[in-house]
Amino acid sequence: MSAMRVLLRHHVRLHRMPLVPLAAGLALFEWIMTFVARQPAVSRFLTSALNAAPPEFLALLNQDLVSSVSAQGIIGVGYAHPFALLMMAVVAVRVPSAALAGEIGRGTMDLMAARPVMRAAHVAAALTATLAGLAILAAAAYAGTLVGLVFRPVEGVSALRYGLVALQLWLTFACWGCVALAASALSREPGQAIAWAAGLMAGSYVLDYAARVWTLLAPLRPFSLFRYYEPQRVVNAGISGIDVLVPGAVGAAALLVAFGVFWRRDL
Amino acid sequence: MPTDAFPIRAVGLGKRYGSLTALTDLNLEVGQGEAFGFLGPNGAGKTTTIRLLLGLLRPTTGEAVVLGKRVARSAAWRGDVGYLPGDVKFWPRLSGEETLDFLGGLSGRAALARNGLLKRLELGPAELARPVRTYSDGMRQKLGIVQALQCTPKLALLDEPTKGLDPLMQQAFYEIVADMRRHGTTVFLSSHVIAEVERVCERVAMLRAGKLVTVGTVVGLRQAERRRVVAHFREPVDLAALAHFGEVVASAEQRVELLVGQAQMPALVARLGMLPLVDLLVERPTLEEAFLERYR
Repeated sequence: MSAMRVLLRHHVRLHRMPLVPLAAGLALFEWIMTFVARQPAVSRFLTSALNAAPPEFLALLNQDLVSSVSAQGIIGVGYAHPFALLMMAVVAVRVPSAALAGEIGRGTMDLMAARPVMRAAHVAAALTATLAGLAILAAAAYAGTLVGLVFRPVEGVSALRYGLVALQLWLTFACWGCVALAASALSREPGQAIAWAAGLMAGSYVLDYAARVWTLLAPLRPFSLFRYYEPQRVVNAGISGIDVLVPGAVGAAALLVAFGVFWRRDL
Repeated sequence: MPTDAFPIRAVGLGKRYGSLTALTDLNLEVGQGEAFGFLGPNGAGKTTTIRLLLGLLRPTTGEAVVLGKRVARSAAWRGDVGYLPGDVKFWPRLSGEETLDFLGGLSGRAALARNGLLKRLELGPAELARPVRTYSDGMRQKLGIVQALQCTPKLALLDEPTKGLDPLMQQAFYEIVADMRRHGTTVFLSSHVIAEVERVCERVAMLRAGKLVTVGTVVGLRQAERRRVVAHFREPVDLAALAHFGEVVASAEQRVELLVGQAQMPALVARLGMLPLVDLLVERPTLEEAFLERYR
């Protein structure tokens, strides 16, 4: 068995237990959103609530809901909701932080790195595990939407559109996973890596929010990775090139840092 | 001698952490099939040396060549190396068996020696099925020894291998090392337990504050150190007459204990013959005494 496969199995063993409830929770949440979306009473309530809500609150939802509260829009909210983002963030930060900094901090990296395995393989295995974990969560989210819409269709809403949203969700957090991997490669303790990755993510989220509600900060919005994740826009118009390009470029740059630093550093 | 005749070769190896120098200009060669002891007080640089030899640390100066390969250039040579860290840590939720399977799998070689090692170290299937977090320190150390040696390495780098083992298990470990050596494995053993190094190794290196103090055979080091001479007399003698030959370390009225260099021994014996000698004891120093003498 190749070292890469052995390392991947190791990551699966370490992370499979937390991944199951996270995926199940996300699937359930998105299924509930399809259930909520088809309730006329909910639509009426949301319409009146959103009309009364301050723009700062609407900006937090990252949705253009004021003009049309539709079933499609409500399901889209499920993908921009802090709960969904938090579930994805847990995997995007946890797996890479545990893989490099976690093993160094625990003292087990010595045992692994003393084997005939290139250091790049450790980074590659952590990356693969992170991307796979995020794919499972994004797929679970989409599965929740799909099950909800297939078994109780909502007029005018196509489940296929949310496949693209789930893909964009995965891409956004795959980028964050790469950033967390770079933080992990630079750290000696998992807490340090988690603090860096989560801090950057929270800062980016706050910047995106602040730039939407405060015009003074609006020019800074492109510097937030959450600027490139807008489920409502994906549902309506598909994924735009820039929404793939920017997270892809940031992720690639973070990976270069991760591979370069981990190759040279003391363990 | 060709390079790969030395499983370990360090040339000017050094490591600094900012202003702190952990190891300076280490030049060392360990021969094929040799059991080599690495001695030194805490913080002397023993663990740093082993970690440099494995490529876990990047050297600030010099280079290490292990099993004929430059450490920094590749990783494949590590398949022939077994490593036991000084403070071995495992994944708490993994069972002992999962741990051995995982680390054996990473080595890329069949764990042919595993069952024999488990038997000798008395780690049974019931213990191996338990999560490592339930293990005692001794059991963790035994698991550490098995993971290091299960793939029959050509070179074993063992840092404090008997830490936490009871005397019976220490004995079992010494027998394992003896067997490995019979099969040509080179053993590099770092230890605080000087008696252990004396028992297992033919050659030793002593480190102090990151610098190599001495390298030599155990026998040679013991011979090079001063002998302990204990003389009993019928009546008190003039100590000044004996102090000329060595260092008087203890004296009662009729009993004198000295440390005497090998070169002074014939003259001392001749002088003692002129005194009212009742009994004479001459002891070679143990490696521990030689070690302490070097670090005093």
